[in-house]
This record gives sequence, C-alpha cells and structure tokens, in this order.
Amino acid sequence: MKCAIEGSNVKAFGKAVHALSRIGEDLWLDPLEKGLALRAVNSAHSAYACFLFSPLFFQLYSLHPGTQSPGTPIKCKLAMKSVLPLFRCLATIERNVDRCEISISTEESRVICQFYCRHGITKTHNLSYQESEALQAVFPTNLCPNVLKAQAKLLGDIVRHFPASQEEITLAVSPVRVILKNYYEEESDRAKVMYTEMSLHPDEFDYFQVGVDSHITFCLKELRGLLSFAESHSLPVRVHFGSSGKPVSFSLDDMPLTATVVLATLDEDASAPPSQTAPSQIGPVHRCVGAPSVPTSPRGTLECGGGEKEPEEENLHVAPQGGPVPGEERVLSSQASPVFSPALYLRKLLELPKPPPAAIVTAPGAARSSHTQHGGRGGVCLAPPHGTSPDACTDYADRAHGDRACLCHVQDGRQLYASHPSYCQGSRAPVWCPVRAEPRCQSVGVTQPGMCQRH
Amino acid sequence: MKFRSKMIDVGCLNHFTRVVNTIAKLNKTCVLRLTPDNLYFVLSGKVSNGGVSMWCELLQVNFFDEYQIEGVSPDANEICLELAPENISRALKTAQNAKSVKIKLTKKHCPCLTLAADLPSLSSVSRVVTHDIPVDVIPRRMWHDFKEPSMPDFDVSIYLPPLKIMKNVVDRMKNLSNYLVIEANLSGEMNLKIETDLVSVTTHFKDLGNPPWGDDASQSRSRDMEAMAHTRVDIRKLQQFLAGQQVNPSKAMCNIVHKRIVHLILLHEDVSLQYFIPAVA
Repeated sequence: MKCAIEGSNVKAFGKAVHALSRIGEDLWLDPLEKGLALRAVNSAHSAYACFLFSPLFFQLYSLHPGTQSPGTPIKCKLAMKSVLPLFRCLATIERNVDRCEISISTEESRVICQFYCRHGITKTHNLSYQESEALQAVFPTNLCPNVLKAQAKLLGDIVRHFPASQEEITLAVSPVRVILKNYYEEESDRAKVMYTEMSLHPDEFDYFQVGVDSHITFCLKELRGLLSFAESHSLPVRVHFGSSGKPVSFSLDDMPLTATVVLATLDEDASAPPSQTAPSQIGPVHRCVGAPSVPTSPRGTLECGGGEKEPEEENLHVAPQGGPVPGEERVLSSQASPVFSPALYLRKLLELPKPPPAAIVTAPGAARSSHTQHGGRGGVCLAPPHGTSPDACTDYADRAHGDRACLCHVQDGRQLYASHPSYCQGSRAPVWCPVRAEPRCQSVGVTQPGMCQRH
Repeated sequence: MKFRSKMIDVGCLNHFTRVVNTIAKLNKTCVLRLTPDNLYFVLSGKVSNGGVSMWCELLQVNFFDEYQIEGVSPDANEICLELAPENISRALKTAQNAKSVKIKLTKKHCPCLTLAADLPSLSSVSRVVTHDIPVDVIPRRMWHDFKEPSMPDFDVSIYLPPLKIMKNVVDRMKNLSNYLVIEANLSGEMNLKIETDLVSVTTHFKDLGNPPWGDDASQSRSRDMEAMAHTRVDIRKLQQFLAGQQVNPSKAMCNIVHKRIVHLILLHEDVSLQYFIPAVA
C-alpha cells in the first residue's frame, strides 16, 4: 500500500492519530478498497475508534503500488508510541510539512512514513509493524432506538462544563430533555466531589430521536479526542445509542473521511463494576480473517465465489437462533458508514430471529408490563401508549413524525414499515438513514434507495 | 437554615468570579460566612496553613440581585460553611455568559451549595447547568475561630508598590532562598531582602507613601522616620498571595509588626482582602 497526503490534510491525519491515541496503545492500519482505515481499541475492549480516509483524501492512494504482486494488501498494527511522536506537534506540521507519504513495505516489514518539508528537508521514519488481522467492532448503529445529531460546537460547549479529569459521564435522554451529569463510582468519594449536571432542550440538537428513555454512562476521556477533531473541522457528530449496557457510537463524516468511536456503557442492572464486564462490551471485536474490503457493492460480494463468500457470511453472522442474547449485538456492523447496502440489510432483516419480548421493548421495567397488555398479535410495542396494532396505537404525539417516515410494529419477527408516511397507521420515530444522513423508511421489497418513495 | 441568592448582572458575575479565583489560589479550603449584609471568606491561622490567615469581605448588595438568608437562629442570623473555593471557581468558570446564576444552600447527599446557571442557548429553552458543591456546616460553638481579625499594633504602615512588579521580584527571589525579609519605614521606603550563603539580593522601593491612620495609630508615637521595621517571612506564602491577585486594587497597603507579622490589605470598591503572614525565626 502506498499513499500520499498533501497540505492541510496532513494536519487532519495527525489529528486523527491524536484522537486514536486517546483510545488505545496500538494503531491498526487497514488499507481497503474504500480507503485507509486507522483503528484503535483499548485494552479492556470497552472503547473502539475508527477513522476511515477515502481515496479522495489522498493525493495518491494505491493498494498495490508498482511491482507489488496483487493480493490482499497487508494489514498491520503499529505501536501508538511510535506513530504519535511523528504527528505530535500539529502546529509545526502545518507550518513545515508539504506532503506526507506512507507506504507499507512487506520486504522490509516496515511502514515508511516520509515527510517532505520546507527548505527541501525530507524526514523519513521507518516503523516496524506487526502483521495482524484487521480490527472491526460489531455494532449496528441502524438499530439503535436513540439517535442524536449535534454540531461539534454544542458538544464541545457541553463537555467544557466538566473538568478535564472527569472520567465518566452519564447521558440521560427523554423526549423533553437531555441531561448530562458527571459520574463517580466509588462510594467513599461521594461526599467530597462536586456534582455537575447540564440540562438541554432537544431543540438544540440538529436531529433528535428518542425511541426509548435511557441513561447511559460512558467514558468521556476516550471521547474527547473525537470531539476535538470534530470541533477543529466544525463537523456535526451523530450519536447512536440504546439503553444502558448497550454500546454508544459517536460518528462524524466529512466527504473524504469518516470517524467512529464506539464506547461501552455501564450496565445499570449488572452488579459488576462498569465498562470492563462482558455485558457492556462492544460485542465480539471481530477479526475479518482474510476478508477483502468490506463490501461496497453488496450484491457483487454476495454473488462472488465460494472462497470469499464464507468470510462475508461470517461478517453477516447474526444472533444464534437460540439463547437470550439480544439480536442486536451480533448483527453486522455498519460503522455508521455512508455506504448503504440495502440488499445486505434486507438479508439481515430476513435472518433476524423472532426477538424475545425483552429484546426490542427497551424501556426497562415499564416495558415488560406494557407488553403483557398487548396480548395476541405478536406485536411488540416500543412503549405505551401503543396498542396491539397500529390502528389501536394512540401515540401520534411523536414530534418526529410528520412528513418523515415511521416504522411500525414488529410482527412475526420482522419489522413492518410503511413505504410512505401516509400508509403508516402508527407513529414511531423514524429510522436514521446512513446514506442521506436523514430519516428514511424502508419497506419490505424495496431493494434500493431509488425505489423507495421517500428518496 | 436557608440561603438563596441570585446574580443577574454579567459584570457582577465576572467580578465575583475574579474574587473567588483569587481566594481559590490562596487556599485549598476556607470558611464562607454568610450574613444578611456580607459574605466573608475566612481562613483562620492554623499550623497546617503555616499560620497564615485571611479575611475577605464582600458587600452582598454589590453582587446579588436577590439575597435571602435565614441563619442558624434568629439571634445568630449567620451561616458558616467550610468548603473548597476551587469548586466554586470551577463552577463559575463556565458560567461567565450566563443569563443568571442562582446560589443556594441545599441538602443532596450531603449539605451542598448549589450553583445553577441559566445559559443562553440556540433554542427557546435555555440550558441549565447545576453544580453541587459539597460543604460542611460549621457549628455555632466554633464560630469564634472565624471572627474578624483585629488590626495588629503595627510599627510601620506603607502603601505597596504595584503588585505586578512586586510579584516579579518575589518570583525571582523564590529561586534563591526560602525566606524573605520585608522591611519598611515611615518615609515611604520599602526593601525586599533575601540572604543566602552565596548571595544576598535586595530590591529597594522608594516614594511609596504611608497611609495616614490618624492620631491614635502607632505612628503617632515618636518614631524615627528612617527606622526600618522588618519581618522575616516564608517567601512561598508571599508569592502565593501575589500570584493570586487578578485585579489591581484601588488601595494596597502593608502593616508590619516588627519581627512578628506582616499584614497585607487590599481594597477594591466592594471587596476587601486582608492577609496575615506570620514571621519565621
């Protein structure tokens, strides 16, 4: 793999490395067809970050430069300690560096990073790498009931109220209010610490969808890298989450690059200490064994030969048919990627086992009682006051409904959506479309966005 | 015990924040005394602080638009709280552009001073930031520790040179020695001296002026105008005091009790700050 970064993009690349250094000790380099992915995960597997630079970001991007034999480009991991110093002083980089070339040389087992600076100076850094499988977190953002989108400045303003040393923070959402407060674990410190709480109105967010009232506690420190990156590029940040215990994903995308940070959240129900326990893990950090690039043209990949198909199917692997493990954790990760693969999604839907009642009804406690009220039909409501069928549903007060799509009840393990709001007889917050970064609807049978009447 | 107050004016808020920042730089913990007319930040001289004591008085009316207090009992209409001024400073730091700041005494998991700031926001509903600062209520029997200190019978009283200059000098001297001698006379001259085995450094200030304390003050006793009264103090205490000052005071003066204590007084329009540094042998 060989790539070249020009001008101010070098600084952006450096800032991405800084953000990743906040997460983990190692940096995974994954050259893909769709771009160069830089990933990091922390030792407890409770935080994962990925920065994907598309070929447009680079002046030159080649997976198989020159004489290198075509084959899978090497995936490797570097020690953060060796990469971070190269990009440590961003101000100097901005001033002095004209161009940066990164190449992976398999013969020498090194990653070569060359900075072409002013005054004809060239700095060459040879970093030894460890060959490794690619790192990929499995997290289905498109199944998250709660989605927020906010300008980076808003988030920056919010976290500014919390001290820089604040480790963990709790985000509580309800349809009328968003509350952030600091979180301290040890009982002994409780008497002495200062509690800070910030309360905002949903109107301040660019997009606000709350499917289920929830409060999640996650590590703020690991997120600060992404927030400062977003602020420096003035990009909006999308937050996808569900109830406590399920991971939360923060993502942003600018045309040439996308960034995602997935953090585990404290499981309120578990008596075990936070973040490090299994229930709140991100889910199997999935190593794609020899898989080629994550499918960009899904149909193409699905149709391809047997050799490749297996790893893809592994990627698509869904919840085991039995067992109480909620389906969401094992479904294919979308990584908030702008690439939408409708066929893939459809396959996923069709493969979804009938969820146990507790899986989708997410308002803890209250949900279980509301479900039993519904009786028959197999319909599962997201929260009262939904009735047993869309007709009986009395919740039309959802502020997000209107000219947007909505999704209605689940029946027989499949989610039925209206293809157009006028067909919809119920009301639920719309689903976030990763393609257009806007709400969308899906209907059974629509295989590409073009056929959908909402696009 | 009840306490509720509200600050609306941005200027008052900024001023209050600066005062609290100054206090925060001087001490880790201090006592906040609330009375119907004033707020006092008090630090009583104890061995743990190295014997320094502090008294900062604010006139409540100049800062708060609303101020209601119900003290411990009708005859002792005061509340004494021990807290870390650093917490108030942090809470106020981000509330600088708030539409209003409410401070009140509450009981959450422990007695707290709650600061609620209404911040301007993009939507019609403003953002609310709440900070709960844990405090310790000081019982009445300990109040005598936190009374206003009496003016010591000083030998010389002199106006201080510009604090910035004094701070620069003391900062440099701190690198050379741990102890500093402050001496001054009634002719408006002041010296800061350090002495070590290798070097001695003296900075001379002239024409500072002596505050007229009136006939009953010690200055009326015949005293040689040129005679210096001096005190040897721990340089770090003086440096800490000077480093915390954020605003130029309208009046800054220093009373020296020969070989006993240095009493520094800073007066702003609505705030007065007194700082006592004891002598070291």
